[in-house]
Amino acid sequence: MLRELQVWLVGSIVAHSPVAEMMQTAWAWPIVESIHFLGLCLLIGCIGTFDLRLLGVAKRIPIAAMHRLVPWGLLGFGINVASGLLFVLTEPDQYIYNSSFHLKLLFVAVAGLNASLFYLTSYRRVFGANTPLDAPLRAKVIAAISLTAWVGVIVCGRLITFYRPGPCDPAEYSVLLDCQPRRAR
Amino acid sequence: MNIDPFLLWLESTALSQWVVGSPSLLAFPGILSLHAIGMGFAVGICLALDLRILGVAPGVQIAHMRRFVPVVWLGFWLNAISGVLLVIGYPTKALTNPVFYLKLLLIAAGLGLFVRIGRRVFTDAGDAAADSVFVRHLAIASLVCWTGAIAAGRLLAYTYTRLTALD
Repeated sequence: MLRELQVWLVGSIVAHSPVAEMMQTAWAWPIVESIHFLGLCLLIGCIGTFDLRLLGVAKRIPIAAMHRLVPWGLLGFGINVASGLLFVLTEPDQYIYNSSFHLKLLFVAVAGLNASLFYLTSYRRVFGANTPLDAPLRAKVIAAISLTAWVGVIVCGRLITFYRPGPCDPAEYSVLLDCQPRRAR
Repeated sequence: MNIDPFLLWLESTALSQWVVGSPSLLAFPGILSLHAIGMGFAVGICLALDLRILGVAPGVQIAHMRRFVPVVWLGFWLNAISGVLLVIGYPTKALTNPVFYLKLLLIAAGLGLFVRIGRRVFTDAGDAAADSVFVRHLAIASLVCWTGAIAAGRLLAYTYTRLTALD
């Protein structure tokens, strides 16, 4: 099921990619990479520091005030989804068949679910009228998971290039394809 | 000045060959990953401070952001060490590329600005100081330097003319 989806995705993107031509010009790739790295810094600088604040760094800053930085971290995330899509839409097989990329997406999903958990369980307690300077334990656990997940995203992103998919035969397929099937069905 | 003998020697050392040649994920891939993590925290916090000076998150007293300064320096040292290891791995690739020196220059400028901004805003009168046009200009210069340093770093993979001293 997933494997068929991967093959179909790669095939459709290769056939219809609207950005491949633009990305294959001399400077496009490094420029978009630079933007991707800048987005990473914005994300860590605004969301990572909010996590650190929940964990107890700079306790004198009210949590609600610190939270005003988070939308800028989300902007960084948005920049990286957009710039990341440019890579995937240009060389789909290099990402869709890449186990490091799979793990990266998993870490992004963990970070996202974990953030929703924060807003569902801790938001009111942390932002209420009598906000304590020290975040509740639950919020600290969520912050630690967030930091870990984002560091995981960075590491997996950096490792993508070391897991370039080689060719494989249909018999070698696992649940997710992490190689280029010799004959796409 | 011909630095080729030095480059040849460096590339022949066990450390250089481990960085480049070891199949371990902890060698080249791991060092690159640490370099990206350090960048995220060091540059990220500098960007957040610049944004705060430029008016974002006004409820945050800038002086209190001082507590994040050690994290910037932690990220910086992580990157200084991982960066030196990467240069030991591919000394010719880096040291014969002018873009590498531009990157170092931009990092030095970014750090210099961070220190200068810090001297003005990490004080009791920090918020008033951050309101000054001069400090705002420093913050804008800091954003420019870090953007440039990141772009220069990325370009290193595309602009080198020699990979090893034998090229």
